Amino acid sequence: MDKIMTGAEILLESLLAEGIDTVFGYPGGQILQVYDKMYSYSDRLRHILVRHEQGAIHAAQGYARASSRLGVVIVTSGPGATNVITGIADAMIDSTPLLVICGQVGTAALGTDAFQETDLIGMAVPISKWTMQIRRPEDVAPAVAKAVYIAMTGRPGPVVLDFTKDAQIGSAPFIYSKCSFIRSYLPVPETDPESVAKAVELIEESSRPLVVCGQGVILSGAEKELMEFVRKGGIPVASTLLGLSAVPSDFPYYVGMVGMHGNVAANMMTQKCDLLIAVGMRFDDRVTGKISEYAPKAKIIHIDIDPCELGKVVRVDVPVAGDAKSVLSKITEAMRFSNHDEWLCSARHYEEVEDKEVIAPEVRPTEGRINMGEVVARFSEVCGNDAIVVTDVGQNQMSAARYSRFKRSRSFISSGGLGTMGFGIPAAMGAKLGAPDRQVCLFVGDGGLQMTEQEFGTIMQERIAVKMVLLNNNWLGNVRQWQELFYGERYSQTRMLNPDYSLIAAAYGIKYRKVVEREELEPALREMALSDEPWLLEVMVEEAGMVYPMIPPGKRVDEIMLSTDKWYDDRG
Amino acid sequence: MMTEDKKIYVISVYSENQIGLLGSISNIFARRNINIESLTVFPSEFPGVHHFTFRVTADERIAAMLVRLIEKKVDVIKAFWFLCDSVWSSEHETMSKLLEQRMFDKKDK
Repeated sequence: MDKIMTGAEILLESLLAEGIDTVFGYPGGQILQVYDKMYSYSDRLRHILVRHEQGAIHAAQGYARASSRLGVVIVTSGPGATNVITGIADAMIDSTPLLVICGQVGTAALGTDAFQETDLIGMAVPISKWTMQIRRPEDVAPAVAKAVYIAMTGRPGPVVLDFTKDAQIGSAPFIYSKCSFIRSYLPVPETDPESVAKAVELIEESSRPLVVCGQGVILSGAEKELMEFVRKGGIPVASTLLGLSAVPSDFPYYVGMVGMHGNVAANMMTQKCDLLIAVGMRFDDRVTGKISEYAPKAKIIHIDIDPCELGKVVRVDVPVAGDAKSVLSKITEAMRFSNHDEWLCSARHYEEVEDKEVIAPEVRPTEGRINMGEVVARFSEVCGNDAIVVTDVGQNQMSAARYSRFKRSRSFISSGGLGTMGFGIPAAMGAKLGAPDRQVCLFVGDGGLQMTEQEFGTIMQERIAVKMVLLNNNWLGNVRQWQELFYGERYSQTRMLNPDYSLIAAAYGIKYRKVVEREELEPALREMALSDEPWLLEVMVEEAGMVYPMIPPGKRVDEIMLSTDKWYDDRG
Repeated sequence: MMTEDKKIYVISVYSENQIGLLGSISNIFARRNINIESLTVFPSEFPGVHHFTFRVTADERIAAMLVRLIEKKVDVIKAFWFLCDSVWSSEHETMSKLLEQRMFDKKDK
């Protein structure tokens, strides 16, 4: 006989059946049944009580991205549900697998503007991979099974279950079978062998090929296949922001990050290559710059698991629909060994220019205030380039992306597509819970920190040993940079008066140190790295600091500013 | 996105019978500022499968893109685009084969 349980218990049993042991959430009226039953599950299911629902969902995102597991969020109806909307949109655009469970009023009250009723499904449909309202207890287990399958397979994404109160209270037999088939859903498109053959042909004909890898490589677990492909073809490889750490920073074929604040080599080689092989990336406008003059000399091969991405923003000569791991191994197997040493070595010139004009003054200055890049680079060294780097959004994010070095995949967690300020603190918390054996370090600005600093309470309560580096410039730095460059130095609403962070850290029992002088920086970073407690390290950085190189919006990716008054000149 | 090749296309969608799906499909058009000129919703010739048709003015690239975006919806089984004056006969045949094939794949697992 199957055991009869309430819908609330069935939900918890179903999560356990899917191997889920950590959830992030916040209780409230319409999800109380679930929280009541959870009381008896505390030995099997760790619930992280956050301080605001937005914290729960960003934490689940950090958890999922660090661990490659499903991030689970449980919140109540109404404001609980609307508070997770930003995170759902963020997870959708950054392809993060999440299961979001929201309480909902009883079915009889649906559509009556009942207390804390909101049309969550209506709000979540455009920003989630799949949504379902659970109205009967017998639907709970199949809904969870289907939701988990959809979230985790194909191009991952957030799924939303709107869990009505009567489905939580009512009883049904508990039978769980995992979902592995939905007739209307093909997670991985069939790869056309002809497209693979055409790709091989273009690769063999090419004399200046360039690979641009995105997060799809990481999501597919195709890091090894990518490196084998690149080695066999002798092809330089660049990365997008979210593709960072898919290949190690010291990989001999790696030429850096593409995009607005990417490396000169990666962007210049984009414009010069005769073949661009895009793997698991989506040609975001921060990557392409002026789209009509992007990679003008190149034929484009685009490998992606989502057929909607193929040809969405750039013309593609050979679209290859499929999973990066299997497509890359098929291409590698079919193609001849090759090398493009001269082409690969052309990266060196760009690297030298960038080092002289940008990196040296940013990372190795001898006087003046501390720079953001300097803090990131020193921390990376102190950690042996092996930390998980989490960022907020803005200059801290770009500095962290540019100056962190990586040894292992899944080591860079950032809000890429949506650019959500406030993502940092909760995501770092979640990342540490998802990868407890790794050093997890957050770079956050004074703006982003104040958007979700309530999560210090969660860090305190759960003793989550995240290392938070506050890069404090007393400005909303990235907006300030745009105002300086493009808005006539009219600094509208970007100056921030900051609180005394030592008192905030003390209030939450978080270790704190403040660094103003350059010589204090490394010892402080070392002390923080060695600690197994949560830390807030406040570094007072150059107030007028700018992130360079920069491709101004709407410009071609070879129109690169190296400093306020100097542009990259290809003629030397 | 305006081109001189704009013609009337019919986009035909077979889906599961899921509440709210019509809204989510029509949102695909709305988000891209594409006007739906006519819409029909009816049970298809296949039991449990719903059939929508949308008539839009677009070029071929947009029509093909809309079909891919609609097919991406988890509850959509298959979508097609046609020039309005084309015949629909091939569609029925493709659908029967596809349903048969997918159910066969399932048994295979």
